[in-house]
Amino acid sequence: MSLNMQRRHFLSLMGAAATLPLTSRLAYAATPLTFQASWINDAEFAGYFAAMDKGYYTEQGLDLTYLSGGPDVIPESALIAGKADVTLTTPDTTIKAIVEQGAPFKIIGAQYQKNPIGIVSLASNPIKTPQDLVGKTLAVPPVNVISVEAMLKISGVDRASVNIVPYAYDPTPLIKGEIDASLDFTTNVPFSIKQAGPDATSFLLYDFGFTTFNDTVVVTTDVLASKRRELVAFLRASRQGWDDNLADPAALPPTFAETWFKGTGRSIENEVYFNTAQKPLIEASGGIFSMSEDSIAANIEALAAVGINATREMFDTTLLEEI
Amino acid sequence: MGIDLRRIYGSIRNLAIIVIVWEILGRLQLVASGALPPPSAVVLRLIKDWGDYPGHIGATIFGAGVGFIIGNAVAIAAGVLFALYPLTSRVARGLNIAIFALPAIAISPILVLTLSDPVPRIVLAAIGCYFVTMTATVVGLTQVDARSVDVVRAYGGGKWKALWLVQWRSALPVILSGLRVAAPNAVLGSILAEFGGGGRWGLGVYLLGSLGRAEPDRLWGIGLVATLIAAAAYAVFALIANSITGSSQSVTVPTSLLRSDEEGRVRPLWQRGALIASSIALPFALWWVLLLALRVPAMIAKTPAGLLDYLVLLPSAPIAQGKLVAALAQTLPMTFIGMAAGLALAFALALCSQLWPAVVRAFMPVALVTQTMPLVALTPLLVLMLGRGTAVILAITISVTFFPAFVTMAQGLLMVPRAALEVPKAYGASLFTQLRLVSIPSSLPYLFAATRLTAPRALLGVMIAEWLATGTGLGNLLNQSRGYLDYGMIWSVAFVSVVLSVLFYQVVVVVERRVLGRFGMASAQ
Amino acid sequence: MSTASGIRVETVSRVFAARGTTVEALRDVSLDCPAGSFTALIGPSGCGKSTILRLALGLDRADTGTIEVGGLAPSDATKSGITGVAFQDAALLPWRSVEDNIALPLDVLGRPRAAHSAKIAELIALVGLKGFENALPSELSGGMRQRVAIARSLVTDPQVLFLDEPFGALDQILRKQMNIELQRIWMESQATTLLVTHGIDEAVFLADRVVVMQSRPGRISKIIDIDLPRPRRAELFADPAFHKLEAEVASALDGH
Repeated sequence: MSLNMQRRHFLSLMGAAATLPLTSRLAYAATPLTFQASWINDAEFAGYFAAMDKGYYTEQGLDLTYLSGGPDVIPESALIAGKADVTLTTPDTTIKAIVEQGAPFKIIGAQYQKNPIGIVSLASNPIKTPQDLVGKTLAVPPVNVISVEAMLKISGVDRASVNIVPYAYDPTPLIKGEIDASLDFTTNVPFSIKQAGPDATSFLLYDFGFTTFNDTVVVTTDVLASKRRELVAFLRASRQGWDDNLADPAALPPTFAETWFKGTGRSIENEVYFNTAQKPLIEASGGIFSMSEDSIAANIEALAAVGINATREMFDTTLLEEI
Repeated sequence: MGIDLRRIYGSIRNLAIIVIVWEILGRLQLVASGALPPPSAVVLRLIKDWGDYPGHIGATIFGAGVGFIIGNAVAIAAGVLFALYPLTSRVARGLNIAIFALPAIAISPILVLTLSDPVPRIVLAAIGCYFVTMTATVVGLTQVDARSVDVVRAYGGGKWKALWLVQWRSALPVILSGLRVAAPNAVLGSILAEFGGGGRWGLGVYLLGSLGRAEPDRLWGIGLVATLIAAAAYAVFALIANSITGSSQSVTVPTSLLRSDEEGRVRPLWQRGALIASSIALPFALWWVLLLALRVPAMIAKTPAGLLDYLVLLPSAPIAQGKLVAALAQTLPMTFIGMAAGLALAFALALCSQLWPAVVRAFMPVALVTQTMPLVALTPLLVLMLGRGTAVILAITISVTFFPAFVTMAQGLLMVPRAALEVPKAYGASLFTQLRLVSIPSSLPYLFAATRLTAPRALLGVMIAEWLATGTGLGNLLNQSRGYLDYGMIWSVAFVSVVLSVLFYQVVVVVERRVLGRFGMASAQ
Repeated sequence: MSTASGIRVETVSRVFAARGTTVEALRDVSLDCPAGSFTALIGPSGCGKSTILRLALGLDRADTGTIEVGGLAPSDATKSGITGVAFQDAALLPWRSVEDNIALPLDVLGRPRAAHSAKIAELIALVGLKGFENALPSELSGGMRQRVAIARSLVTDPQVLFLDEPFGALDQILRKQMNIELQRIWMESQATTLLVTHGIDEAVFLADRVVVMQSRPGRISKIIDIDLPRPRRAELFADPAFHKLEAEVASALDGH
């Protein structure tokens, strides 16, 4: 499987190299960089796929290895174990690890300005605000329970009044009415539910006080020191890819059907929906991956509500400035 | 060993009945408000999705295949060592039980943390093979007809000569039957590691990726393919075993089995103490050495010392202990209840298989599917049917424990000597009286063997249910710790669950020795 | 090679421990089998007759006393290939053909099989199994299997032959036939032979002397010389002299 990836990567590299002028091919000896994604290949990573297919990383002198993620992949672990140089994380877990275990992480960018996780429910039994959750059963992945608790607290809802059960990323119980709502990516699940029949409604935790980024770009301090140039190049090429991808959210996903999306069992229609829905959550006035001082402050404040003491030093905006 | 056409016909008929009933239940949305898809929908979906499958199947078979080869090579080598030098098996006992009892769900995150894909798949597949094949090898080599070995030894042949000329070949059918069980284990091990291993390809990856799609027909399709691969792996070795054993069945019943020099020899207390101590120390030593050899950073890979720090010495230790104790208080009672329920059901069913063999045979395909169908795919269905309380934990625990226990007990009832049954029969005893007086007492060793098998699996079942359905206990703690990057807790949960599993196993062994010793019975493998 | 191929058992004792109790299988047993002699060991179950044989084959070790076979310690004697053995059960390897089963001792001793192919063919003919060279044990009757075991015990041209109830599993008629055949084979080979048996008629028919043993503790109670002329024929089974010797052995077994 990784062999397959290597080969595809190699081919795309060859293709890209062929289109470049001879001088630029000679100018850069590509340096290797490994990127651990946080989920299986879907539209969440369309920007990186675009950048790879279009050879943006190669142009930046990077030999990028892309590792797919999945539900049980802990992206931060890949950094500590040295399996990857850069990854995408949920900021609360990363910052918790820095605070509680002294993990040597730095956040150097944020893919989602607004965290896409939210409360999803059926339109026939809609839950539109945190207050609507009182007396209901809400399925939450155990990892995200603290985020939900923070949102409830900020909204003044008693934690004990909501029945929180584990969520295994399967919307079937919601569709069948076994639970009233679930916590999931609002960019994606409503589409799956619609495919199964009912209409869905959702709200973002972000809009009810849990003002965090998501898919924060994280590196270890060691890599930050030793591969700064490569990281800036990575951010630059990735931003280019994202800009291309979001210009028309329906344009690029079909081109990944037989490559990146092969075998995931998801329809291109679904990816286009996802891509369209995530556009407003990703785009930033300062460019993709921006971390404005205001939004960093909002993150610190939201995390404080769940007892995670984030500080400004955990965010390093200097690489973004170099792009 | 002729093919019994009537039985084949019967099996096909039973299967057809099950499929039709399932189809009706599915079509009419009678189970779990329609969450159980009818088989026709599953098959149609499978055909539609077929383009996705080859890559996933290839990856799973690759992981399972490499793991199968490595795991069995190690297992056979270890089995030979243990059979020829019984002392080594005493020393490796702790390690062997630990490998047998390892709850895969707890060990998989640790493998994923410390190794790179596809190594975790291979390791989990290999672990799935090791115990079965190792045990089969030891049993095969030691249960050889002692007279044949005597012939070799009577001409001055040593251990290795006897191994080469007699034991190896005579153990082959037993080893093959071990491989037959190991093959589906390897497939399931690989799939399980794929859940946590990342990577793009593999049925486990596909299943997890499809979980969020609200398409139970696809989940069942993936489960079906996994089941078929496991069944095919089983069938291949069953065929090989049949073709080898067919012509060379031993013609007389061995009157005596090979006795090792160990048996009957009483060692001084200090020697026994040293053996037990080294058997306990070995797994820890191996754990430590492996981590050192792999050079995994201390933050994510906890050595025994690191774990001691986390659980006892660090200022945060009381919090960690508190979490563990609270989780155990939820998990342990369910484990015992689940184990008792699984065993009771298995025993009842084993008795039924004596009284109404046809009914039980019809039930077997369903039971088999529950064994190979990844539980992750079944859990949403079970949750819909049973809710998220005790019932669902019990259902999942029973489903992982009862089948191996049933097979073992049914085998025990079958092994009752005919002559022993005929004595009460000659006095006009009813079937029930025969069971009560002869079958049940004489299958006691198998009841214990089943309990030994079940004890660690019960813990595994409860943890899976807690992880996927109820959000309580050790299973949830493990899952949550992964999300919070609480590496110390991930290792603690894995450690505690392995220690508990070994403990359960050992308790059963001690009780078994007492009871069987009193009745003058030997334990069944 | 007169004393060189005899069996000497000198004040041998062997105690087994089992389930908390001890069993004295042999207490101070001494026995001398001169080269070329045929000795039968007879006695009730647990008298230690099979233990003597196992000790002599190096399958077990005596607690005290010494055993020599052909002037060598048992384990050296078996390794040098001067012994042959057949057990109560044929103990054939089910996956080996008749020919291959007969050749097993050669494989154990590391002797080339090709050099013995004539010998193997001769033995197959001797035990009347011509045409069954490639048959598997499962395709043979009980008597045929036992004859394979006898052929196997002779493949190394043993100077000392141990037979542990080799015909115990056969019916009376077949057994008598096999006794006659065994005598013929023995007379041709002149190997020192030690036969463990339950059958009084078999012991008297085959042996130069019958050693009667008693159990608890296992010991020799009487040695009866059999002075019947050889070759002994089937009619002998009906001879009054034969019956007299049988009665003598039987009464020795009863402890008289």
